[in-house]
Amino acid sequence: MTPFHIVVCGSLVPDPLQTLEPTLGPEGPGLKNEMMLPSVLDPWAGHALYEAASLATKHPESRVWLVSLGPKARLQQLMMSIAQKAKFELVAIDSSASGFIDAQSVARTLATAIDEIDGLDKNRLLLFGGCASASRDAGVTVQMVGELLGLTDQFLAVDELEARDDGSLRVLERIEGGKYLASTVRGAPAVVAWATGKLPEPPNNPQVGMQNMRTILPALQKAKAAIPNRNSIHYQEVAIPQQKRETRVVKDMSVDEIAREIADWIRG
Amino acid sequence: MDQGLVMDRQNMDVDIVCVGFGPATGGFLTTLSRAIAGSESEAPLMSRVMPGMPLQVLCYERADDIGFGVSGVVTRGRGIKKSFPELDVSQIPMATPVAKEKLLYLLDPHGASRRPAALEGIDAMIRAVRSGSQTQDSSIEVPYVPDFLAKHDGFLLSIGQFNQWVGTELMGSGLVQVWPGMPVSAPLIEDDRVVGIRLVDQGTESDGTPGPGFMPGMNVHAALTVVGDGPVGPIGRQLDEHFGFPEGHHQNDWAVGMKMVVDLPTHCPLAPGTVLHTIGYPEPEIFGFLYVHPGHVASLGIFVPTWFDSPVRTSYAYLQHWMKHPRIWKYLEGGSLRSWGAKTLQESGRRGEPHLVGDGYARIGEGSGSTNVLTGSGVDEAWTTGVLLAEGVIELWRAEQPFTRQNLDAAYVTRRRNSWLEAEAKESEKSRDGFQKGFLTGLLGMGLTGLTHGKLHVGPDPVPPRDRIPTLEEYYEGRIPPSQIEAIRQECKSKGEPLHTALMEAAGWPEVEYDGELLMSHQDALLRGGKVQAPPGYADHVVFVYPSLCESCDNQLCIEVCSGQAITPGESGVPQFDREKCIHCGACIWSCAVPREPGAHAGNIEFRAGAGGLHSGEN
Amino acid sequence: METILVLLHIDESGNLPRIAFEALGAACELRHGGNANFAIGIIGGDIESAAGKIGGCGATSFFGVSHPALEVSRYGTDLAALGALVEKVAPTLIVAPSTSRFARVLPGLAVRIGGQIDTHITSIDPGAEGDAVFAERWYYRQRMKAKFTRDARPWILVVDGGAFEPWKGETGSVALQMVSPWAEGGPGDNVTRTQVSGIETGESGTQTIRPDADLLFVAGAGWAKKQADGQTHVPKAEKLILGFLEGAKASLGSSKSLVDQSSEGQAVLTCLSHLNQVGQTGTTPRHQKGLATCCHGEEPHVVGWRFVQERRAVNLDANCGWARGKADVVYVADAFEVVEKLNDLLGV
Repeated sequence: MTPFHIVVCGSLVPDPLQTLEPTLGPEGPGLKNEMMLPSVLDPWAGHALYEAASLATKHPESRVWLVSLGPKARLQQLMMSIAQKAKFELVAIDSSASGFIDAQSVARTLATAIDEIDGLDKNRLLLFGGCASASRDAGVTVQMVGELLGLTDQFLAVDELEARDDGSLRVLERIEGGKYLASTVRGAPAVVAWATGKLPEPPNNPQVGMQNMRTILPALQKAKAAIPNRNSIHYQEVAIPQQKRETRVVKDMSVDEIAREIADWIRG
Repeated sequence: MDQGLVMDRQNMDVDIVCVGFGPATGGFLTTLSRAIAGSESEAPLMSRVMPGMPLQVLCYERADDIGFGVSGVVTRGRGIKKSFPELDVSQIPMATPVAKEKLLYLLDPHGASRRPAALEGIDAMIRAVRSGSQTQDSSIEVPYVPDFLAKHDGFLLSIGQFNQWVGTELMGSGLVQVWPGMPVSAPLIEDDRVVGIRLVDQGTESDGTPGPGFMPGMNVHAALTVVGDGPVGPIGRQLDEHFGFPEGHHQNDWAVGMKMVVDLPTHCPLAPGTVLHTIGYPEPEIFGFLYVHPGHVASLGIFVPTWFDSPVRTSYAYLQHWMKHPRIWKYLEGGSLRSWGAKTLQESGRRGEPHLVGDGYARIGEGSGSTNVLTGSGVDEAWTTGVLLAEGVIELWRAEQPFTRQNLDAAYVTRRRNSWLEAEAKESEKSRDGFQKGFLTGLLGMGLTGLTHGKLHVGPDPVPPRDRIPTLEEYYEGRIPPSQIEAIRQECKSKGEPLHTALMEAAGWPEVEYDGELLMSHQDALLRGGKVQAPPGYADHVVFVYPSLCESCDNQLCIEVCSGQAITPGESGVPQFDREKCIHCGACIWSCAVPREPGAHAGNIEFRAGAGGLHSGEN
Repeated sequence: METILVLLHIDESGNLPRIAFEALGAACELRHGGNANFAIGIIGGDIESAAGKIGGCGATSFFGVSHPALEVSRYGTDLAALGALVEKVAPTLIVAPSTSRFARVLPGLAVRIGGQIDTHITSIDPGAEGDAVFAERWYYRQRMKAKFTRDARPWILVVDGGAFEPWKGETGSVALQMVSPWAEGGPGDNVTRTQVSGIETGESGTQTIRPDADLLFVAGAGWAKKQADGQTHVPKAEKLILGFLEGAKASLGSSKSLVDQSSEGQAVLTCLSHLNQVGQTGTTPRHQKGLATCCHGEEPHVVGWRFVQERRAVNLDANCGWARGKADVVYVADAFEVVEKLNDLLGV
């Protein structure tokens, strides 16, 4: 079987359970107390990472890199919660992980970092990432990185990737109407932006964590700082729309009456 | 699961393994990591399990992040400042120096609290003498904060933010590893020697049987196991069960501390650094606090102690009543909830100290009895225990001495005994015994002990909580007729609800009207403030050991005290446990009303290593 | 003056998808009463008839790339075709619908043409002629909305479904100018390494989120939890839910916690997969009505029905965060009983 060189682009987003509040400063928008918010690996990037690790175990000699762009201190903390879940080599870039930074600026930084990965064989490259992020949520970054790296076989919102014995890859992409588009690419290189995939979140494996730490700490120490381009977008306002509704609480109606009222509402 | 399926139990060897990442372990690792790095005069500490590598130190934390701890912290920070002489607290989010400290006595505006006659007399006098503006909001400011309580030279912290700050500094050094989201299930004990720890099994069903993706918890062998897993940590408690307590020591005094972090309304005049302590309301035994952080944010909450003898000892309802007190509400009205959480406090202090060391292990932090119950201070004390242990460990490692009981005793316990920590712990040891005899005796006792530096104290040795809780009928005698109590009991059982709300309303407590911002249902506080999580694939960590004991228990305090409503009445009489609501406060352990075996100290609830819990980094 | 290019593709049936008309509607808002240069570019297999459907849209010119290789959705060939159209028109603003096909290729197009791109656009403010064009979209999974503009051109605006009034107008014959990105031999090997084999149905059958349904039925984790008798009733829950979907012709969404149970091997609702998940890490579908049952939670889970117009909930807890202040009506009742009765009334 062909070994793959899988590069996963993924970074941190605020723990989705936190209360988020936007602020608009001279540098552009951000989140209130952004550096204080507990963060997690972006959920779709997480799926990509777990799929990458799984694929790598099935294809001996494969390598997995996680290219992560975020504030160094936050990345360091993030690594402690994900490094036990999947085996990877970290490439860290010290920069803002704000969702308000232009995707193209992020994509260029990532593409440059990937280009500089020592030992990466682009003929074996599978560029993985999430189909969207829980921060910018634009769904464009991975494709841009792919294009910048000259990859012309790209797949978006992938739930399944089957690496076949002949080297080809069969891919299922989510399309409209809860359906899948099935395609086969002759083989690497390719870009795969994952939806949720099929794998559950792996358990924390302390030994995997220990192995990862050997590359994580040096990677963090030599993380290059990247200054994001904040000039391409001009934000006029950022706000949380108030959507509070007057809720009618129906406590004393019988089940029959409730069902009738709902049925009328559905039909009406 | 094809990548993580590991059926064999893994083993790993490290030099030192730590259980739990809180202020004590923070102090330990901060001190130790500096020695690992070495200096111009001292060689770096090198590993014995991995020759040629630096000392291999791992720390496992149960919660999903190192910043998900809970505490209301105002501290003099003597130990912390010593570790960081150049400390600029403004670098720690939410931290600020103490600017103003007040002690408030809150009167009861509703007449619903259970006040002893003498206190009612005092209240009447206060109302008569101070009929002016100060009592309009049902409170008076006590003109003097006793020295033993004062924190004038200290600072306020969010323990979550502090732990994150410490953890970030530590991990940035690359010299120690702190792994969150990894509960430790058991100490590995061989011939009374602790040889390491076992991590929790993953991929199990809720009853612990292997499920899809089962991965047995790894054995981590270490020359030294540092136990800093807090007042209700499973490793500390298993060690206590195995080794027992030193003669005369016991852990009979506990409390639940429940807090909120709140965005204050714009009209609130309180400046950052303001510290308010309250006594007197919602029940005389329940103390309150309000600390103002920078950014118009406050931490506030209450402590509900074991010596508050209510059999329906709910923290959440009392917290709401406390917030609604006119003196407090005038600061809070219009604010909104940022965060919520609760924890157990081990209030026995030095008297609750377990064996601090044994062959292969050492205890630090709150679980080691470091909390000072007179000054109401625990974080800095916990930090200091970690520092003292680290100093001893560095000494032993450099001298190539093994971590035997004797060596640890000389290197760590002796340091602790000779420290300010011990001197103050001794002074405060019996300071709260008066509360065994009632609120006023308790206050008197604290005052006496504080003012005489521990020479005098009032009151008897505390008894276990279960030996002092009256029945509902006894507690509400003269307030709610037994027939009404029985009717409420039956109604709540059929609805699967705890009793406290119905009983408190029957006893005259006003209904709390929700505003959806600060006053909300308990479950909303859990989700909005605590952001509680329970990852799948782990066993339930709260287990009712002998169902028959629960079936015959007519005082299920575990249900009433549960901080997350995770324990509710069960159909058969055995309470039900919902892991998705548990915030790991551990109050059920010490509130259990029945001994597991006749005469046993342990109750019928086993609180094992569990994953998940609070997901807020601001508590 | 801006030059606007609306990029469209036809679907597998040879027609323009509904969202194409919405993108066209959005583009018309940008025209300042018809002053801007306005071109249409369509890609696909046989595109003539589709172009005719929008013949009356007022575009100054219609361009197309038609080739058998474009009968399928594929990054390499789509990019080449779209790149050729952009080169031909040299637009300053490009408006396109957020279909799965375009969502995949347009970011690459932005890189290739040296342009800018914003996706999930929910509104466009063209301003007065000569003023900056502002667009709006949501960030952090529908938690906050931003209004912004860009100076650089070309700027690709990918519009979300259901956010703009679809263009409605006369059909008409158009002079479709064909553009060829390839030499006579057609697309080269470098862009056809991917072969599309067809469309497959998702695992949970037809019971995924269907944007065309009027009603979104959101099933929460309570369906799989222990009920009043201390037991779970998952098969019954599944029967009731499927019955309701059939009777009400509703689309099925689910909370994250229920979907997560499905992937963890517990007794689960087999009709659910991650495709059904709404909310923070799921979709935020647009429907006229939404009925949430057994849902429990607060922000961020509630974002799942941010774009649902009329909302009702059935929940045992009147203070449930999913409903309070978020729904128009919350019925405090047992969803098992209510849905059973509803199914009777809906003739299931």
